[in-house]
Amino acid sequence: MLALAWANLTHHKLRSGLSALAVGIGLMLMLVSRGLATGSISEVNQRMQSVAAELVVLPAQDNIIFTSGAPFRGLHERHLRDVADADGPLAAAVIPVFFGQVRLGGQQQRLFGIDPGQLEVFLSGRRVIAGRLFDRAVGFAARVDDGAPRPPDGDAAAYDAFLADGLELVIDERLQRVGRYRVGDTVQLMGQVFRIVGIVETGVAGRVLAPLQTLRLLTVAGEPHASMYFLKLRTGLDPAAAAERFQESLGDTARVELKTEYGRLLRESFASVNLYMTASSGVALATCFLFILLTMHTMVIERTREIGILKALGVTRLGLVRLSVCEALLISLGGVAIGITLAVAVRGLLGVLVPLLTVELTGGQLLAALGVGAVGGMLSALYPGYRAARLDPALALLHE
Amino acid sequence: MKAMTDEPMIDVRDLHHAYTHGGVTEPVLRGLDLCVRRGEFVVIMGPSGCGKTTLLNILGLMLAPTRAARVRVAGRETLGCGDAERTRLRREALGFVFQRFNLLPTISVARNVALPLRLRGAAADGVVPALLERMGLAAHAAKKPRQLSVGQQQRVALARAVVARPALLLADEPTGNLDSANADAVLTLLAGLHADGQTIVMITHNEQLAVRADRVLHMRDGRFVD
Repeated sequence: MLALAWANLTHHKLRSGLSALAVGIGLMLMLVSRGLATGSISEVNQRMQSVAAELVVLPAQDNIIFTSGAPFRGLHERHLRDVADADGPLAAAVIPVFFGQVRLGGQQQRLFGIDPGQLEVFLSGRRVIAGRLFDRAVGFAARVDDGAPRPPDGDAAAYDAFLADGLELVIDERLQRVGRYRVGDTVQLMGQVFRIVGIVETGVAGRVLAPLQTLRLLTVAGEPHASMYFLKLRTGLDPAAAAERFQESLGDTARVELKTEYGRLLRESFASVNLYMTASSGVALATCFLFILLTMHTMVIERTREIGILKALGVTRLGLVRLSVCEALLISLGGVAIGITLAVAVRGLLGVLVPLLTVELTGGQLLAALGVGAVGGMLSALYPGYRAARLDPALALLHE
Repeated sequence: MKAMTDEPMIDVRDLHHAYTHGGVTEPVLRGLDLCVRRGEFVVIMGPSGCGKTTLLNILGLMLAPTRAARVRVAGRETLGCGDAERTRLRREALGFVFQRFNLLPTISVARNVALPLRLRGAAADGVVPALLERMGLAAHAAKKPRQLSVGQQQRVALARAVVARPALLLADEPTGNLDSANADAVLTLLAGLHADGQTIVMITHNEQLAVRADRVLHMRDGRFVD
């Protein structure tokens, strides 16, 4: 049966090839869109896990992907520092992060505002490859934090001088490679000219770092707002129990999660986008399988006489359905091979054109593609197979 | 030559068949009786539209009669048989040769011939080459049917029909599309098979071909006539 199915398909090479290509394109869309979603989530999560902290404090809203601005006021930070037990404060370090946006490396990047004094915890041992961290900005941060008087409005020169050593950026190596940036390059951001002063190893939570105080000064008039916090716990504390304590203390104004749960939170936040992408690729895939159905149906009509011959020779109805399924499965499996090849090629192409995107193609995803191809192919063949099985052999043999 | 036996290969009584098109019923077979003994070579002749092919389709279990008292084929009463049983009988007991050859165009000559054996789950390795040799087709085993002449194609069809040694060979105008030389070659092969004991029922218009048969039946208006 397999040999006959193969012979039938190779007899119509172009049509069979186009059907397999259609399935391949559908599967490629599915693999790439899913791979983009999981790849991005996984890459962001890995970077967030690099911070030497056990807990994260996030806005109470459900979606953490679209967190922007600074929903936390300074009160929260003080509150987090004050949560204590008999042995003292639970947090060894409260690390506020202030999110901004900057266009670098050809795409929008999340800018992480970090206190220069906490960079070591934030980098967690990752090396500085070129340049330096915000050494000079420590002075700036200190000035701001100590409430040094700001220059009067209208005195642009004095204002620039006041900000000067705060307008610094540190980027990671991947972004530096993609954008071919060098230490000393300047970037326009929030109406100011920032200078790239350092490059750190890839894997840091933020690809672009700026002094926390600078971002606060430029966006919230220096108020101690934050977008989220990392909490580094005192040695020996149980993170889950500590998280509960912080949550009780903050009430419903924020949510405290284990840092290890950040990946799950990302996936949950991405669920609606994921659903949309899955639905889109599902529709594309269904269209491709309709293409197979149409191909198989056309083949049944064209081969009515041959089906009559097979029936005359004693091929059962089930045998004819099996033949149809076999042909559709061969097309689908060809489509799976094409789809995987195309997906790998697209991943490579994206790696060149948009290097900061991560497309993850796991063994599980490839197996899922195989499963979808096999099931889709089989379903597409059932109706044409049923039609073939119901043909009257005597009438089928009269078919021109 | 193997002898004929009195055991009937085909035993048909009071066979009726009618086609209905657009609410109009047209009777084609009208109370036909037929008995063919095992090993017999019967030729059925008659004008176009007299019901020959309909009869052959009923004997070949590809068409259920409108009404009949008995339709025994290869020792089995087929009236009331379901599609699965009729399909099994076609596969295991019948061989067909058609006027238009009806070879599968996508597979080779050897695979076409081997198909009935494969459908029965039997090995085709030794049988098919020997049969193709006997039919003078050994050199064409790997070719596709369209690469053969019409005479060669009909010999392939004949090889496919007999490769699984069916109890009954049904041939519908097997020489209708052939020139006299090819027709004679096919008839010679059929005669050879008959000599080996093959029961054959053949439809033809050609009186000259009928002389090789044990019995010639003439049909007119859905009945046999003397």
